[in-house]
Amino acid sequence: MSLKYLQEAVGAGDAEKLIRYVRLHLGDGDEAAGRREIDKAWIEALKLLLDVPETDRAFILQTIAERDAATLAHLYFHLHFYFVKRSGEWIHDGLL
Amino acid sequence: MTGYSENAAAQLRPGLWQTVNERYPGSMIHKGDFVPLARLRKPLAESRLSFVSTAGVQLKGTLPFDTVHPVGDYTFRRVPSVSKRDELEIHQLKYPTHGAERDLNVIFPIERLQELAVEGIVGALTPNFFSFIGYNMDAERLERTLAEEIADAVVADGADVVLLSPA
Repeated sequence: MSLKYLQEAVGAGDAEKLIRYVRLHLGDGDEAAGRREIDKAWIEALKLLLDVPETDRAFILQTIAERDAATLAHLYFHLHFYFVKRSGEWIHDGLL
Repeated sequence: MTGYSENAAAQLRPGLWQTVNERYPGSMIHKGDFVPLARLRKPLAESRLSFVSTAGVQLKGTLPFDTVHPVGDYTFRRVPSVSKRDELEIHQLKYPTHGAERDLNVIFPIERLQELAVEGIVGALTPNFFSFIGYNMDAERLERTLAEEIADAVVADGADVVLLSPA
């Protein structure tokens, strides 16, 4: 999907097109795989917090407060792939 | 695809656009003009050859290509043409890299090109080859910035002929 196609979808509020794109991107062109990848990343993140470990919450709050939204959005995509990789089930053809 | 000339069609693999559109609907690139391939002005054995690739190959230690950005990465890396295999790495998500990890030359034939230069089949190699990743959702930006920057860099390196290779 082209950037123009996505921008038009944003303008039209067409969430279906946008989420389909995200799933295609994260699933390497396979929408169903992308949906599973999103679930996998969230499950991996959840698993890490079940024991309620000490985390650097100050870092999290400071990062969210001080960084621009675009950088945080970029980080969000990075974190998705980080947790997918950490899950040990890497479906992607190449390397990050 | 609109503005798709018959001349341009002759240079593309049949079915390419259908394949792209199946995986990424709406990603059609509009090509309104036709740029013919340039003719070689002197024998290959007297020409300096450069190489441009979308394989995502780069020198170890350089900033990895952004393989996670949803709209793509519009930067390129210079890869010294004298580079050894173990000095290079691949950052790419959109093609299978296991074959290239075993033999980089299947996707980025740097050692084969070095051999051709030593054997005199080509006159010389440019100091650098040029690498980027092909996952770019903004074709206009790619043409306006990345393609122009690579073209300028290839010219600055004194290339007479360029091998273009999509991954």
